[in-house]
Amino acid sequence: MSQQLAIIVMIDTENALEAGTLRGNTYLVDNMRRLGSRGECSGDLVSAVVGGHWSNGGQAQEQILNWLVGSLGSVPLTLPRNYHSHRVHRHDSRSLQSLGRLADAGGANAEDGDPLTEVRRIHREFGARIGTARGRHRHAHCDRLMDLTGRIVPEESSRRGDPVHSHPAPVLVDLCGEAVEKKVIHPAQYGSPDQDTDGWYWSAAVDTSRPGTYSYTMVVELQQLVRGPAGRTWRPRRMSHKARLNVTSTPMRNGFTGAGIGYLPVPSP
Amino acid sequence: MDVSEQDRAPVRRPISITSIVDCVGSLATGTLHENLYLLDSNRAGGSTGQGTPALRTRVSRGDRLLWTVITLECEAFAAIEDIRIDTGVCRPERHTYPDSDVAYWTATVARDDIGLVPYEITFRIGPGEASMTTPVPPALIGGTSPD
Repeated sequence: MSQQLAIIVMIDTENALEAGTLRGNTYLVDNMRRLGSRGECSGDLVSAVVGGHWSNGGQAQEQILNWLVGSLGSVPLTLPRNYHSHRVHRHDSRSLQSLGRLADAGGANAEDGDPLTEVRRIHREFGARIGTARGRHRHAHCDRLMDLTGRIVPEESSRRGDPVHSHPAPVLVDLCGEAVEKKVIHPAQYGSPDQDTDGWYWSAAVDTSRPGTYSYTMVVELQQLVRGPAGRTWRPRRMSHKARLNVTSTPMRNGFTGAGIGYLPVPSP
Repeated sequence: MDVSEQDRAPVRRPISITSIVDCVGSLATGTLHENLYLLDSNRAGGSTGQGTPALRTRVSRGDRLLWTVITLECEAFAAIEDIRIDTGVCRPERHTYPDSDVAYWTATVARDDIGLVPYEITFRIGPGEASMTTPVPPALIGGTSPD
């Protein structure tokens, strides 16, 4: 199998949510620039997929595409997918330890001598609580805000506007469009498109026996922080963006002997 | 207790500057030329050059900047080794995300009307000792500087 082909989809989440569109707020980069991809790090990427065929025309090897979605307004993709959840758990453990110490000392070790002030501090440090639009079911890593440096955002209701926070990672929920309808690519989703498991990434095998340029559509779900009567909640918003693939196929060549698609192991003329 | 107007004012969002590094390409060619893409989160505020190494990030005094790195292949490694910029404009410092070994660099813009301030980023790429610097300088722009 050849090198796996990667397409990074970077979304300017803040601006996409404000504008209501991914157009102008999406940047696509792939690792096939040397193979002929055009429009790197723009919204209009044409990814080069170079296949190979044998003498009978049969596809010689698979080309595999992988899509990974990131956000400009979030902690980077290099952090583990469960980083937000992990940080909330660690933060809660520390808050419980603070409460435990306060209880053990009978309130005597409160900072300014008033146990109630210490309890209020711990409550504020617990973090700005967030619900989901789905109702009571809470997703552990989404019910508290985290900032862009990995710290849990304290509750400061006196401030105007929403606290500065790391946007939940956008989730690719579907790959569709011409390339899928014509069965040029066969996408498969690894993971689950919900906030708990974060929908890891999509892969697609490519049928390179039909050279041509084909469009495909990515459907992405962003999360918008909204304020309602019950407090702040995450509201999912789905948006789509199109990109293209340029599929080509060249005769297979033996890298050791230089032989082409003929039957003899000799370099092709 | 009354809360002052300043305390109640919304906090400004940090400006994220993301470097996307093609590790395989840069190690194969020995250069970040055509292997580096820079993006920031302030396009709406006037940043230009998105997706190129010559990113121009529009900033104001007090803006907090956050530099991070991602790689084209998740198995590859790249990290910022150093950021060199006029220290009168900002002083980038390296930090680590809590409970992780992933680093980020951060700085606060000290002045308005900085004009165009070019800077350099040096990356460590791959498992060895390879260090590479931005092939053309990105820049911070502020005040009445032309784009």
